Parts: sequence; structure tokens; C-alpha cells
Amino acid sequence: MKVKVVTNILEANDRLAAENRKIFQDLGVYVINLMSGPGAGKTSILEQTIKATNGRMKLGVIEGDIAGDDDARRIESAGAPVVQINTGGACHLDANMIRVVMDDLPLKDIDLLFIENVGNLVCPAEFNVGEEIKVMLLSIAEGHDKPLKYPLMFQESTALVLNKIDLLPYTNADLEKIKRDSLSLNPKLKIFEVSCKTGQGISDWVDWLLALVKK
Amino acid sequence: MHEVSIVQGLLDIAIENCKKQGYKGIESIKVKIGKASGVMPDALMFAFEAMKPGTMADKAVLTIVEIPVSGYCNSCCSDFTVDDAYVTECPKCGNISLRIDTGRELNIDEMEVF
Repeated sequence: MKVKVVTNILEANDRLAAENRKIFQDLGVYVINLMSGPGAGKTSILEQTIKATNGRMKLGVIEGDIAGDDDARRIESAGAPVVQINTGGACHLDANMIRVVMDDLPLKDIDLLFIENVGNLVCPAEFNVGEEIKVMLLSIAEGHDKPLKYPLMFQESTALVLNKIDLLPYTNADLEKIKRDSLSLNPKLKIFEVSCKTGQGISDWVDWLLALVKK
Repeated sequence: MHEVSIVQGLLDIAIENCKKQGYKGIESIKVKIGKASGVMPDALMFAFEAMKPGTMADKAVLTIVEIPVSGYCNSCCSDFTVDDAYVTECPKCGNISLRIDTGRELNIDEMEVF
């Protein structure tokens, strides 16, 4: 006998994500899901952001990695409360992982919480974790073909941060093509050009974050 | 990689429905997967075969229906359907102001129970 089910397979994750979002909103925590491929500089931009924010808002970080706690140590040294998730192989964070660790952070004392996803340009875009917005990071050295090769990530993000912009003269990357293709995938995408090494563009990025959190 | 978590969700929903309605097991499950959902049908099938043993879906057959990407162009006011997983400009006029209507589905549609 046939039974109509018609249910979204990710319903359980989406339901948990909605609950997480409600908890964060009730506590006045703005949450950003930060995504990129491995090595684009997610932890570096968080270190720079903590430094440049200089107490103007209180930051917190959930670190997602397959293994290890190197990133959490870096964030701790930079001066923000942090909790590390090890996915033990999973290629992305999901809403339940966030639920399990959220109480380990002093949420009442956090204005802006970054969830640093597992380094991967594919799967993290498909799982909501309870964030307000998604932001993706792409480093110049990854090449200008990435927007059209990994379109979902660009379509789902509110902002694109182009990191390692100081490397532009040393690569064949076509910056205008990256911007053009990204905007064709997502006309509303806000684009930042930064270098975590030289500090270029960091203050514009931080100003944007401050404005988001104030809303 | 995440096809395993998707199959877990799929099995949870199917088994819950099966139990709730008082059936003994599941014969088949039909899912609708959008081409832009990022899910690979082969990997989904593989994960399903690997995870179904020992569940009420032990002998169940999985059928995957792929849904193409379709939408509407705000510029030339026409509907379109494409073969690719993604569309970045209107296939007719090239404009980038599009509304995507289908292609992101990740749904269980129906199942047969006994």
C-alpha cells in the first residue's frame, strides 16, 4: 500500500536550526555561519576581527574541525570565548552539534557569535545551524574559477570576503571575474577585499559587522 | 560525504511514519531530489543500501526522481528549465535577475508499506 509522506529530508536539521536561532535571538546574540575551503583564512580573519573590534562588541566563536583544537587555541589567545567541535570525519557542522556545545559559551555576554564551519566549499552551504546569515571567505590564491564551480556557497551567502588580497600581483587570479561571477550568482552579495596579513580592508569589514549587530 | 546524514534523516522520517500508521515494514521509498540540491543520486543510493539493514526498511527499494532547475526571468518574463545543476543567467535573454522555482528539493515523496 502506498503512503504519501512529502517531507523534507533535512526537516529534522532545519527544525533544530530554527530552535537554535530562537535561543540565540532571545539572548540577543547575532550569529554568523562562516564558511570557506580549507586554508582560506577563516581563523585568521576571526583573529583580526577580534583585534580590530577592540571591545566595541563582544565576540564569541564556535570552531568546527574534523580533528584537533589548534584553531580554538588561536581564538583563545586572541581573547574571545571559544568552544571547539570535532566532527570526527563529518564534512560540515549541523544544527545538533551547535545545540550540544552552545551552553559551553557565555552567550549572555556575547553580541556576535561566529560559527566557523569545517573547511569545505560544498556541504556546509546545505546545512543550517541556527545562524542569522552565512558569510563565505575565498582566498585569492584559490583562483577565479571558484564561484561558478561551487555556486551554492555563493548563492547562500550574504557577504563574500576575499582574503589574501595582497597576493593578487603574484597569482593569475582575475579579481574582476571573481566579483562578476559572484554577483551574477547572487546580485545582493556584499563583497569585501581584505588581507589578514597586512590588515587591508579589515576596518570596513568590522564596521559592517558592527552595523549588523546594532540593528 | 553528507549523503549519510541525509539517508539517516530519510530513514528516520520513513520509519516514524511507518510505525505511527501501524505497518510492519517498508517496501519502497520514492524521493525527489533537485539537481541543484548538491546531493549525488549515486552516493545517496550507496548510503541507503549501507544503512538500511536491520531497520524496518531492510528490504526497501529506493527510487530517486531528479527534479530539473526551473524558474522565471524577471527581465523577459519567460519561464525556463535547464539541464545544468545551476543557472546564472536567463537562457533566453541572458539577464541575471531570476527567480528559481525548482531544483533545490530534497523530499521524501511517498513510500509503500506492508
